[in-house]
Amino acid sequence: MGKRVVIIGAGAGGASVAAEAQRGAPSLSITMIEQRAQVSVAA
Amino acid sequence: MPYYIGDVIKEEKKLIARTPEKFRETGVEVRIDTRVEEVDEKAGEVRLAGGARLPYDILVLGTGTTPLMPGIPGEDREGVFTLKKFTDALRIKAWLREVPCRKAIIIGAGFIGMEMCEAIRNLGIETQLFHRGTLPVNRWDPEFSQVVLDELRMHQVEFVTDAETKAVEAGKEHRLRLVTNHGEAEADMILMAVGIRPEVTLAKQMGLPLGKTGAIRVNFSQKTPREGVYAVGDCCESFHRVSGRWVNIPLGDIANKQGRVAGRNIGGGAMIFPGIVGAQSFKVFDLEVAATGLDEREAAQSGFHPVSMLSWGNAIAGPMPGNTKLGLKLIADRATGKLLGAQAVGKAGAVSRINTLSAALWAGLTLDDVGYLDLAYAPPFGGSWDLIHIAAQALKRKL
Repeated sequence: MGKRVVIIGAGAGGASVAAEAQRGAPSLSITMIEQRAQVSVAA
Repeated sequence: MPYYIGDVIKEEKKLIARTPEKFRETGVEVRIDTRVEEVDEKAGEVRLAGGARLPYDILVLGTGTTPLMPGIPGEDREGVFTLKKFTDALRIKAWLREVPCRKAIIIGAGFIGMEMCEAIRNLGIETQLFHRGTLPVNRWDPEFSQVVLDELRMHQVEFVTDAETKAVEAGKEHRLRLVTNHGEAEADMILMAVGIRPEVTLAKQMGLPLGKTGAIRVNFSQKTPREGVYAVGDCCESFHRVSGRWVNIPLGDIANKQGRVAGRNIGGGAMIFPGIVGAQSFKVFDLEVAATGLDEREAAQSGFHPVSMLSWGNAIAGPMPGNTKLGLKLIADRATGKLLGAQAVGKAGAVSRINTLSAALWAGLTLDDVGYLDLAYAPPFGGSWDLIHIAAQALKRKL
């Protein structure tokens, strides 16, 4: 199994990390945690 | 989001850049409605509300900002809002629909306050703005904030200056009553837009170093000093290419770039975030308002010898129908002749000038360079001497 990445916050920053890290290393195990009900909003 | 509340963007789906389902399809697990209580660095685990634990090898903090509140009695009453997250926009929009809203009060005169004035006025709702200062948007110099204030008043926004808010109570004619040092005012909704600060509760708990800005310190790879811990977006600092200082400018475009840099590095790549020049803009009614780089105070604080000049000129070629006035203020360093910053206001052409000047700041151009930049000239878009050229040459003569 690849490294475990935990991202706290799924706003513009966190969501960009998730997308780019996953693209570069699909074997990573990425979890994004968001305290609200929505992710990645174009403000 | 103000454009969603003001019915300019009608479909909420269009605001969601990517849904949790879309992320899951790519193999990223998303947990919404989930709070992180604590990061247990010794165990290498994140502890979630409810007690569940999530082990990590690499941790990324993208905790964003928290809206500031005035800290007055009644500020948590129903009908009092902040606008930070999409859920706030949904709540405000629902409130405006369900509660017959005839009058709104906005507290604070920053970006959000300005955009919300327009959104709410466009819904036909009477709007009153309370500001603790005398002029709106303090990122801009008084010559320009006065123009912004005139624009607000022209669109029937009542602007109350030097206001101190004291309490929110139940109203008689409207739902709520705001008590201030200038007496009482009633409204059906109150928006608190007094500012935001970086959300760094977890970072503090972890003992991560914060900068003078109160945001998390990172290096050019978006790494914190702690091994395996990154930070991105509004909660962390950015390198300002003009001042050479680390700053915190909470804007989504910066967060996107920093996120991509961190993601590239986590995914095995090698990338640095090259920094920012402080470019920003907003629209209020018929006015474009934009700025980039440093103002004179910041420039002096950073060790420069700032000189500035405000030039009023044409947004497009003078003889063209539809031409409007454009104000452009340039700030430069007397010692080196380098451009340090710019501000612009006008019904058209302000943002395009500031974007051009942002590239000039990025490259470290001097007023001599800017005064003869090759720009895309045609009468519908500018004069054969653009206001950029005119302003740079005029300031150059003053050095």
